[in-house]
Amino acid sequence: MAPLHSLLTLLDRVSPAKIAYAHCDIPCGIYDPHHAQMAAHTVIRMVDLIGQLEKPGPNATADQRQEYMNKLARYIATKEQHAEIFKTEVRVLWGDYFKPEHAQQFPNLHDLVWKSLKSASKGRQEINLLAAEDMLRQANEIATIFWKTKNVPTYSAKSPYPTGRETVYPKIG
Amino acid sequence: MTPALAPGDYVIVNTWAYRRREPGVGDLVVLRDPEGGGRFLCKRIAGVSGSGFYAVRGDNEAVSRDSRSFGLVSRRLIIGKVWLSARAPRGRTNGPESPS
Repeated sequence: MAPLHSLLTLLDRVSPAKIAYAHCDIPCGIYDPHHAQMAAHTVIRMVDLIGQLEKPGPNATADQRQEYMNKLARYIATKEQHAEIFKTEVRVLWGDYFKPEHAQQFPNLHDLVWKSLKSASKGRQEINLLAAEDMLRQANEIATIFWKTKNVPTYSAKSPYPTGRETVYPKIG
Repeated sequence: MTPALAPGDYVIVNTWAYRRREPGVGDLVVLRDPEGGGRFLCKRIAGVSGSGFYAVRGDNEAVSRDSRSFGLVSRRLIIGKVWLSARAPRGRTNGPESPS
């Protein structure tokens, strides 16, 4: 039908046609639970780093206190930021990607999303390794469901990051 | 709407198609986006509720925003039936929509 398309292209230039969108909202179909999983790893890592940070003793100098404060503030800021990234990413998957039939197929989906957002709030508010690990566990469960809806098999492996926790990856290719 | 339509295809819409009959299941239609934005959507009629409301679906269900997310659409929003479509040459698109 190329000649017809060429003719219509010509007509379109003379009198532009209206656009009808044939599939999704924008960005179309570009979703991945990986960002939420990465954000959970970052929160775990920040909790670890905060735990390893040596607190200044009573005889610490002003410079040592300042250095401690600086490091602590940076770890906390990063933890805050990535807990929020986690929540944003999970909300996008939940609100934009998952369809009613996915929720029917995976009846625990809504509860899982809700719990993951609660864990992220806790992970953000507190220096709480359990909450951070809950975030990753729940992100992994969401990832497992996500990839199942795309018929992509998954596997679980220890992450190559310093956090070293079990992470769900898609088996692509 | 892949494979029926691909980004960049032209469609010619018969706006008189539903003057004498109602949209039927399987019809490819152009409708006003029920979620606003002044956009037009191209979907297939998937079901008829019998009271002037229709379920529409994209053929490419995994990435389609359709009645599964915005619910049934009123007859008033349906502009017409796709009468003819012209496939864009490969690698060429006219619309702002990028393929998924």
